[in-house]
Amino acid sequence: MYRETVSLLRREYLRWIRAPFWLISGLLTPILYLVLFGQAFDLSKLIPPGFGGAFLTNALAGAPNYFSYFAIGMVAFAAVTASLFSGTGVIFDKQLGIQQRIVSTPSPRLAIFLAALLFRGVLTLIPAFLVVGLALLLTHIPGVAGLTIPAGVTALGVGEVIAAILILSITFTALFLAFGFAAQRVENYFAIVTLLQLPVLLTSNALYPVGTMPPWLQSVVAVNPISLAVNVMRADLFGAGGYPYSPAVYLGGLVVWGVVIGALAMVIASRSFRGTGSIDREGWSPTT
Amino acid sequence: MTDPARSIPAPTLAERTSVIEAKDLRMAYPPARRGDPVRPAVDGVSFQVRAGEIFGFLGPNGAGKTTTVSLLTTLLSPSPGSAFIEGVDVTSDPSEIRRRIGLVFQISTADGELTGRENLVFEAGLYGRSPATVRPYIDSLLARMELTHVADRLVKTYSGGMRRRLELAAGMVHEPKILFLDEPTLGLDPQGRAGFWKYIRYLRDTQGVTIFLTTHYLDEADQLCDRIAIIDHGKIIASGTPNELKDRMGGDTVEVVVAAGASDVTSVLAGLPGVLELHRSGDQYRFKCVRGESLVPKVVLACERVGVEIAGVATRKPSLDEVFLNLTGHSYREEGEVRSESNGSDSAPAELPAMGGA
Repeated sequence: MYRETVSLLRREYLRWIRAPFWLISGLLTPILYLVLFGQAFDLSKLIPPGFGGAFLTNALAGAPNYFSYFAIGMVAFAAVTASLFSGTGVIFDKQLGIQQRIVSTPSPRLAIFLAALLFRGVLTLIPAFLVVGLALLLTHIPGVAGLTIPAGVTALGVGEVIAAILILSITFTALFLAFGFAAQRVENYFAIVTLLQLPVLLTSNALYPVGTMPPWLQSVVAVNPISLAVNVMRADLFGAGGYPYSPAVYLGGLVVWGVVIGALAMVIASRSFRGTGSIDREGWSPTT
Repeated sequence: MTDPARSIPAPTLAERTSVIEAKDLRMAYPPARRGDPVRPAVDGVSFQVRAGEIFGFLGPNGAGKTTTVSLLTTLLSPSPGSAFIEGVDVTSDPSEIRRRIGLVFQISTADGELTGRENLVFEAGLYGRSPATVRPYIDSLLARMELTHVADRLVKTYSGGMRRRLELAAGMVHEPKILFLDEPTLGLDPQGRAGFWKYIRYLRDTQGVTIFLTTHYLDEADQLCDRIAIIDHGKIIASGTPNELKDRMGGDTVEVVVAAGASDVTSVLAGLPGVLELHRSGDQYRFKCVRGESLVPKVVLACERVGVEIAGVATRKPSLDEVFLNLTGHSYREEGEVRSESNGSDSAPAELPAMGGA
């Protein structure tokens, strides 16, 4: 199990390291988010002077400034966007016969799935953590808004923030990996992904406060895994006062999403391993 | 039987244990459209492959060759009790079966973005072997497949022949004693194909590997295989050694050309024992007989006796083309084209069940 997984990971790594454009785009995207998106978007500037204070603090869930509020949303945003491509490698592997080669070996099926999830998961995590690091760094550059974390953040809180980023990234990686295992063609995959991407991101509180939304949308936003992760992070970093539940509860909700989507992805992957069972290029699905 | 050492002879081919066995193997794919009749791809196939044999599965495209390989190699699940590897039912422990066999696909399955060596190390890892322990063996495998000089080049830069050899090496990376080759030389030119046979023979002759291969090339089956089964419409229609199959065609054809203007030797040739279906056209005579090569000296002597000079003699064994035509009533090439079309249309909905599973 261990050797098979390592061998599969090694192959993914060799492929990835030889595609420099992915590398550059993966590293630049988080920077662009913060420098362009993050610096441009400051809702607090729309509020006339004198109306700030408690009102603003409340709207921004206790964040010291709009960028700090927004930066947390962008962490989730970066993770989800990076995960969108998680399933493409699997489709190419199917089309190039590589998956057939892999499933013809005695390698445990779980190793094949885990290697894909692990590698793609790490590729999703990197930009998410880069956004955190960069946002913290920007605070120290004069004239530029940065992520300011008020004093009083506990070690448990930091742990919960890291766990939220990890689980969110892995959950979305598993989701799009599942679509990759299900689709036979990249066109079909991207049709699904582009259809899903927008509603999933927009029904969350990543970019703007929930208070502005109609009630029906608010209830959707409340269970969105992105919102759950964002709630954990904002509550732990800016204070849990404004939230009806503790960060641990939101983290628990996120774990439920992760387990459900992970299990679903595993089922779809194992079907794919059997479905491409035929070594015919057409990829028959067996009747038995 | 005077020499006691000879009293225990090495087992003949027929006495060796069967390492691959199919017993009434069956498989049907879902119909293309709802309501269409289910067309069996493999329809009650039975055969045995003995240790150390090169066994050929010959048939046109869509005859059921690849499906048979898929069933024997656990890529499709046959019904229990119909497929055995070294006496073990393939449905009982697929992962153990996968360990015992090597498989070379008809399509290229190597990762083009990796080097040849990296592909083999990757493949070995899937059999639980660590890169460090497997490296010496991979080096020797690359050398035997004459790939050492391109071992560290990306596979996407390989020629068709190199890719095929790499596929063969990938099938052998865990040193299996049984190797399945699905159309191993598809897409190679005739020279490349003949060259590739050398590597296949090498594995059998020096490593004792039992080889099951499918092919739609008649000459490949003829020249490479110890025994052949001819499959058509999912059924085995004939099996035996290439020579046995050809012998069923009523033996050899002998062509005798006499010197221009020589006198008629029809009666002379017709008088020789075993000459059948004698035809004459000008200076050319053609007849059938059981073993042409043993009759040639007699033809030469008989003609000399009547003072007729022979310009040339040729004996021709029946080709598998003729065997196929005789067994199926249709010519080989034509059948391949018709079947591959129907195969294409049937495969179209294959995407739907997989998508539906999402």
